[in-house]
Amino acid sequence: MAGIHKQSKWTYLLVLILLGIVIIWSIPIFGLLVSSVRPRDEVMSTGWWRALESEEGFTLDNYRQVLGGSDQTFVNASGETVRASGDNLTQAFINSLTVTIPSVIIPILIAAAAAFGFAWLEFPGRKFFFTLVVAILVVPLQIALIPILRDYQTLGLTGSYLGIWLAHTGFGLPLAIYLLYNYISTIPKDIFESAFLDGARPMVVFARLVLPLSVPAIASLAIFQFLWVWNDLLVALVFLGGTNDVAVLTQKLASMVGSRGQDWHLLTAGAFVTMVIPLGVFFSLQRYFVKGLMAGSVKG
Amino acid sequence: MKRMMLSLFIIMLLASPLFAGGAQEAAEEESNVVRVFGAFVDEEARRFEEAIRPFEERTGIDVIYEGSSEFETLISVRVEGGNPPDIAALPQPGLMKNFASKGVLVPMWSSLEDAVDSNYASVWKSLGSFEGTPYGVFHRVNAKSFVWYPKKAWDAAGYEVPTTWAELEALMDQMVADGVKPWAVGIESGGATGWAGTDWIEDIMLRTVGPDVYDQWVSNEIPFNDPAVKDAFEILGDIWLDPAYVYGGANTILTTSFGDAPSPMFSDPPKAMMHRQGNFITGFFPDDIQANLEEEVGVFPLPSINPEFGIPVLGGGDQFVVFNDSPAVRQFMEFLATWESGELWARSGGALFPYKNQDLSAYPNEIERSLAEALVNAKVFRFDASDLMPGQVGAGTFWSGVVDWLTGKNLDSVLSDIQKSWP
Repeated sequence: MAGIHKQSKWTYLLVLILLGIVIIWSIPIFGLLVSSVRPRDEVMSTGWWRALESEEGFTLDNYRQVLGGSDQTFVNASGETVRASGDNLTQAFINSLTVTIPSVIIPILIAAAAAFGFAWLEFPGRKFFFTLVVAILVVPLQIALIPILRDYQTLGLTGSYLGIWLAHTGFGLPLAIYLLYNYISTIPKDIFESAFLDGARPMVVFARLVLPLSVPAIASLAIFQFLWVWNDLLVALVFLGGTNDVAVLTQKLASMVGSRGQDWHLLTAGAFVTMVIPLGVFFSLQRYFVKGLMAGSVKG
Repeated sequence: MKRMMLSLFIIMLLASPLFAGGAQEAAEEESNVVRVFGAFVDEEARRFEEAIRPFEERTGIDVIYEGSSEFETLISVRVEGGNPPDIAALPQPGLMKNFASKGVLVPMWSSLEDAVDSNYASVWKSLGSFEGTPYGVFHRVNAKSFVWYPKKAWDAAGYEVPTTWAELEALMDQMVADGVKPWAVGIESGGATGWAGTDWIEDIMLRTVGPDVYDQWVSNEIPFNDPAVKDAFEILGDIWLDPAYVYGGANTILTTSFGDAPSPMFSDPPKAMMHRQGNFITGFFPDDIQANLEEEVGVFPLPSINPEFGIPVLGGGDQFVVFNDSPAVRQFMEFLATWESGELWARSGGALFPYKNQDLSAYPNEIERSLAEALVNAKVFRFDASDLMPGQVGAGTFWSGVVDWLTGKNLDSVLSDIQKSWP
């Protein structure tokens, strides 16, 4: 009895500590949420924790401006002063999805095949090429921007979606291959041996055995790659450009704060709007995620 | 497996028209499209687009503007990568010089040069030139040497606008006696913290030693620890380092964002009476103040210190430079050199223009009109020194030097550290 009692006391303490950490981590996000429903002047003048003292109360105006386009006043060609909304986020959402979905699927497919090859197929230079892939992991992508842009200019790929898919594929591949290699190489050897004995070709083994067995690793990789591409600003700006027809969500949000950051209060609402899709992706793949995080960590 | 093949197939299908289509369209439209890349975004970009619409309608040329808050990084990457825009609006003369020295810019042709000669004061042409060759056409500019005050409280207290530094100091003491802080100051700006302080130093330099010494300072012909510079810091220190004169004292200066800095002026009653900043600061004022700008806010140029130099104006601006030459690009550049290209933007507000022949009545309120007037009539106009100095100093040690000095570091060592960092 005493032992159990003691144990539960420790459990309580642990839970309390964890709860404390969770609260500390959540406070900034909570503050962001509160700020996102406060009027501009109050966000600018007082901290979010004083929201309840406010006279103006709460407003969804920030969300309206983020989703429907920020308020703009200008004089048009016929000399009239016009008050209108800027472009809304629909096009940017579509652009972001157009960029992100293939940029997640292509590298994962290639990486899975490559990882399978590195793990289970015999070919000359296997070790060397794998070392090369691991070595590329440490090369920062910024180094590659200008050379790739030059090549894209010659190929006519700048400003096209294909260009940015390939760029994200290239930048994502080393980590993807490495992660999947570690997972795929832990699949018991017997499975492959029996498949090969039954006369299965490598391609069939890959599609029927490796892919289904690697779903946890693939899912967690998909989450990482999705978040990286979705949140990317630099690669999109360099290879895709920032005109309205191709601008992705991050670019729209970055410009929404205005040339001198005078409208930064809109970012609070913008953060929650952009969070929606990554959260959806995360929760739909979440049940694989924990399993996937362990991928390759305990190699047999 | 089938599903995988299918998705791959769909991707290819999606990709091919985008890829091919883009290239085809580009070839067809090339001659009638002008691509402009600049640093202003959102509302300002919209105002620019509206201002050039009459030109597009008249000529049939399609001007596509792309703005990015990451402009400085991107323009260099795109130029290096062989993908420059047709025209770029460069906020810093240093960038223009950098590109001009690499030979990637198209110099002004004679008809454009004539237009610039007749529409601008000569200082703008020389700011757009590198080694005697003119490249840049200035369009929207800003001016920074202004002091803003809450008009109603100011009038109620019976204060008068000072025209000399002695009058300003007397006014500051009067305010202290009345129990209100004279200045609201804030220089926090993330990684760029300090720039608002460098503007003060530059303004004071122009007023104490004049434009010639200022130019020598910018090109490091006089060192950063020259007595002229030290003197400017000390004049500023008399205000900033005296807690009686600044709302919140030196710590508040450091931790208040430059955009939030004016807000103590608009509480009731005001906690501070004056704020020195460029014309763009009105965009940071509270909404109800912005709505009634003329009634709520007054503005005057930072007073003269040495009467010999009058009231100089410090400012900055975007210069448009050409990367790809074409008849449409030439037509658009010549349009940008005329007041007509700025008129609609001036009427929208938030922008000043340097044209000699501009119609001041276009500005939407008395405040901007007086700023534009001060800008056009200034006997001395100088570009923001920190934008002209090499990046290591102008966007580095000069900024951080101001911060170090505010946190109590010895002024002599701050200045000699900045001098040492000069490349």
